[in-house]
Amino acid sequence: MIRMEMKLAGLLLLALAVPSFAQEAMPQEASGDPVLHAMLAEMQRSKNQLKLEGVAAPYYIDYRITDTDRYWYEAAYGAPRGELRTRARFLRVVVRIGNYKQDSFYQGGQGMVEIVASDDDELAIRRKLWLATDQAYKSAAEALTEKNAALKQLTIENPTDDFAHAEPVRLIRPLVKLDPGIGSWAPLLREVTAFYKKDPQIETIQSSLSFEATNRYFVNSEGTIVRTGASAYLIVAGASTQAPDGMRLERSTEAVQGEFKNLPRPNEFQKQAEAVVATLAELRAAPVVDEEYRGPVLFEPYAATNIFASLIGENVLGKKPALGQPVRVQGAFATSYLSKVLPDFLSVTDDPTIPSWQGEPLLGQYDVDDEGVRPAKVTLVDKGKLVAYDLGRVPIRDFPASNGHGRAPYPVNPPGPGLGNLILQSSEPVPAEALKTKLIELCRQRDLAFCYVVKAVGPRNSPRLLYKLFTSDAHEQLVRGATFGDLDTRTMRNDIVAAGDKVRVDNLPAAIPHSIVAPALLFDELEVKRAAQNKDKLPEYPPPQLSD
Amino acid sequence: MINLRAQHSVLLVFGLLLITLTLSAHAADKKPNDVLLSTMQAELDRATAELGKLNPAPYFLSYQVQDETIAAAAGGDGALLSSLRTRRRAVDVITHIGTPALDNTHENSRPSAIHAGSLATEDDRNAIARELWRLTYQGYRNAAKAYLNVKTQTAVNAKEEDTSDDFSQEKPQVHLDYTAPAPLPNQLQLESLARKYSARFRSYPFVYLSAVLISVQNSQTHQINTEGTRLVYPGQFVHLAIQAQTRADDGMDLMRVETFQADSLGNLPGEAEILSKIDKMAADLKALRSAAVAEPFDGPALLSGRSAAVFFHEVLGHRLEGQRQRGEGEGRTFAKKIGAKVLPDFLTVSDNPTLRKLNTIDLSGGYEYDDEGVPAQAVDLIKNGVLTNYLMARMPIEGFLHSNGHGRSQSGMIPVGRQGNLIVTSSHSVSDRELRQRFIEEIKKKSKPYGLYFEDIEGGFTLTQSQLPQAFQVLPVMVWKVFADGRPDELVRGVDIVGTPLTAMNGILMTGDKAAVFDGICGAESGAVPVAAVAPAMLFSEIEVQKRGHSLNRPPILPPPDATVSSGGKGGQQ
Repeated sequence: MIRMEMKLAGLLLLALAVPSFAQEAMPQEASGDPVLHAMLAEMQRSKNQLKLEGVAAPYYIDYRITDTDRYWYEAAYGAPRGELRTRARFLRVVVRIGNYKQDSFYQGGQGMVEIVASDDDELAIRRKLWLATDQAYKSAAEALTEKNAALKQLTIENPTDDFAHAEPVRLIRPLVKLDPGIGSWAPLLREVTAFYKKDPQIETIQSSLSFEATNRYFVNSEGTIVRTGASAYLIVAGASTQAPDGMRLERSTEAVQGEFKNLPRPNEFQKQAEAVVATLAELRAAPVVDEEYRGPVLFEPYAATNIFASLIGENVLGKKPALGQPVRVQGAFATSYLSKVLPDFLSVTDDPTIPSWQGEPLLGQYDVDDEGVRPAKVTLVDKGKLVAYDLGRVPIRDFPASNGHGRAPYPVNPPGPGLGNLILQSSEPVPAEALKTKLIELCRQRDLAFCYVVKAVGPRNSPRLLYKLFTSDAHEQLVRGATFGDLDTRTMRNDIVAAGDKVRVDNLPAAIPHSIVAPALLFDELEVKRAAQNKDKLPEYPPPQLSD
Repeated sequence: MINLRAQHSVLLVFGLLLITLTLSAHAADKKPNDVLLSTMQAELDRATAELGKLNPAPYFLSYQVQDETIAAAAGGDGALLSSLRTRRRAVDVITHIGTPALDNTHENSRPSAIHAGSLATEDDRNAIARELWRLTYQGYRNAAKAYLNVKTQTAVNAKEEDTSDDFSQEKPQVHLDYTAPAPLPNQLQLESLARKYSARFRSYPFVYLSAVLISVQNSQTHQINTEGTRLVYPGQFVHLAIQAQTRADDGMDLMRVETFQADSLGNLPGEAEILSKIDKMAADLKALRSAAVAEPFDGPALLSGRSAAVFFHEVLGHRLEGQRQRGEGEGRTFAKKIGAKVLPDFLTVSDNPTLRKLNTIDLSGGYEYDDEGVPAQAVDLIKNGVLTNYLMARMPIEGFLHSNGHGRSQSGMIPVGRQGNLIVTSSHSVSDRELRQRFIEEIKKKSKPYGLYFEDIEGGFTLTQSQLPQAFQVLPVMVWKVFADGRPDELVRGVDIVGTPLTAMNGILMTGDKAAVFDGICGAESGAVPVAAVAPAMLFSEIEVQKRGHSLNRPPILPPPDATVSSGGKGGQQ
């Protein structure tokens, strides 16, 4: 019933939108913007005239142009290694045939991609739109036939619509540009990577920056006209070394901001990078972890954001399963709706409407998503229970509408559910010192001489900085070569016993700019064991002597 | 390879641009205090000494550094699609372990010899040495592992047909040429050329898709090896590619490509000539749209010089590459055919990379040293119809123990035998006029109503794309029916050459007396390299063709945007 009403409302909206669109020669939003002008002109032509005999006319068309201006620079071993400035406009055209219930968005019918003029040349842009729309329409016709054939082979238990209705949005934001000061970081990157001269056992050391200003244009046949802009400034530094036994050790650090002026001062970043790289020497000297440990483990905020992102963040995306699969969504929470996924004192929200959290800028803020829908703050996990998903315009069971989280990972990719500002909050925050005391207490209760504190994790949630914390005198000892035996969604649900009061804001620019916010997390039971990784050989011969 | 759908081809063109783009000063005009060279030498010496203590030890190491600066611009529909300037120093470290008779490059494990990376773009001795050291020990590990596998495989497998060594011995070369190439042109100049040439297609709205790519590449190569070779030399290469595409009413995609190569921007053909080439491309496409579709045909054919050049490059040249005569995965068409007659005796085929010009035309396949540091050599491949030689890199084959300076590759890939300037000459040539006369006589003799005149053939080397098939395909694009009864020639489209093109070559009856040059970029397993092919027009007694398969996608439903206003928004096809 609900769905029926929604659909009627949508049809009404559409009916209203069409005449208003046709009457206006060109909506005022487009004035002075040749890109929008070209998009609206071709949209109007396609809406009114695009039709092949024997094939239904499109019921929906959208144009998305992503204009990126990117500056990249890389230094290694104290010298420049590469530099790049590139500007490109990517076009993605989606044409849907059928109706909201069942349409052609399937295989080859999922849109066409083109590179369009980076000059503001309306005719050149229109020609690319024209051809891409034509091809998208023809591909949609073929896809619809294929899809109908595929559907005949399947029993669909819980049918959901293919495409959600959404209200038209009109929003024009100023265009963004790369800051003129972007070249100023190059000398610093060289200096940061010259650190190998202080620690000759460093095998690789590099630092790169990627500064990007992206203007997004989105127009659809329902009347949405949007232009928004966002920037991301990323600086990364990383190094690797080998322990005497050959174990490969890596560390990296980064600074990410949406605005150039919010980047740390160069000397601050240098300090930060050198502090991180300097830990490689400590790691080389650190003992290898004991064979097996089962007991309390504390993840400091820096490490907690990573495991929160991968174990919760990736599973709260409402991705529709493949045709014919009976589950609600793809991923580990496929059947967890309204079930417990975290302890009662933890809740998770995704709120792309806020620009900062506890004074720290967030990268995951946006006004309109990549499907032209305004984002909503979504409570995903309420007191430990999974109550919603991040959704784009592809409905899943019980969720017929988008909540404005349809985001495209790259300009050429189709949008899908994506994270904005994912925030983990505790109803019982514990100050850092108290958390540590609690950790030691838990260990003592179990007669453990030490427990573990994780300060940084790397890819696949492998610990990069892991410390033994001794219960006797609370001193810490760095260890290396560990892995977590059973860190998964089940441990997240059952074994977290406390969370800290201070959070880390992790801003992640690629592939979708988003932010992860989490406090420290205390597990009362986790397996820490020796990693089964092969140890590399040490270099066959020593590095070259430094010369002046 | 070039028969791509419209939307993909432009993306590929663009993709090529995006591979490496950097803004920076161009390579300095380096004089004898060559920090890069001395650092390379010091690290090579250190590696030789240190790795020499190991078992297995390398018996050959080389470093090749290409300091490249590229400026490029791409245009479409009169507007700029992309523009870039890049600087990088690509380095290839080559390691051979074992003995020349059997080493890590044996059979399929040839790529184990190469380990590629990037060096500091400034003459920072420490940074360069450090990176070379890392690449060298990593390259050694790859090669050592491959060598162990090779030894096991050789012990297990049956004896191969060709038991030649894996690596040839060559004389060391020392040549230090610090001449700086002409400075890169202003970026705005390239951008304006890309805009200007692509804007010409605006006069031809039926050309649905067009792209113009112009690039200028300056390079300085440093190459040293453990045999004592020390080479430094400059290079400059300018490439202009123009691509235009339309679609016939039956859905057949029709494409024309023109490429121009020169050693400097000033040596490209002038604006008037290029614009008239564009007009010709558009006129060809217009004619092709309304041309009849080819019917299956088997009979006399005349190839223009340019078509014959492409045909020989694709059909013959690639099959004369040394590595294709050896190895289980290869066709080995010409293996063991030395001394055999493979072409009519009036034809001679050579490859001569030492030539830079033919008359006044630039030949883009010229070079001084190949990518293995061997001097370029003129090689007679087929003399008076008899096979005499192959295009050899440093991988020997039975009876051919040395490179003849044709080991070529792009950075990051292991060199193999490739063409440079392939030149076909004839001792049985007649004037163009007489050739056409003899063509018509041949048609009558065969009692055919018509023969086919191939005005233009596109091959795999007209445009280069990142993924290249191993099949060297020819794609006739401008083909005319020439009637025995004297009717005007009639253009046909969708011609596909079938049968064995090599067999067709034995039916070449005579040639024209003017050599035509085709300059292009050739792609194969060792990457994209500039080449040229030169041939006179040729009369074939028989070529078999069939109708080419194509998509059934109609032309665009709506008229192009610019035509909308005048047509009052009317739909339909034009």
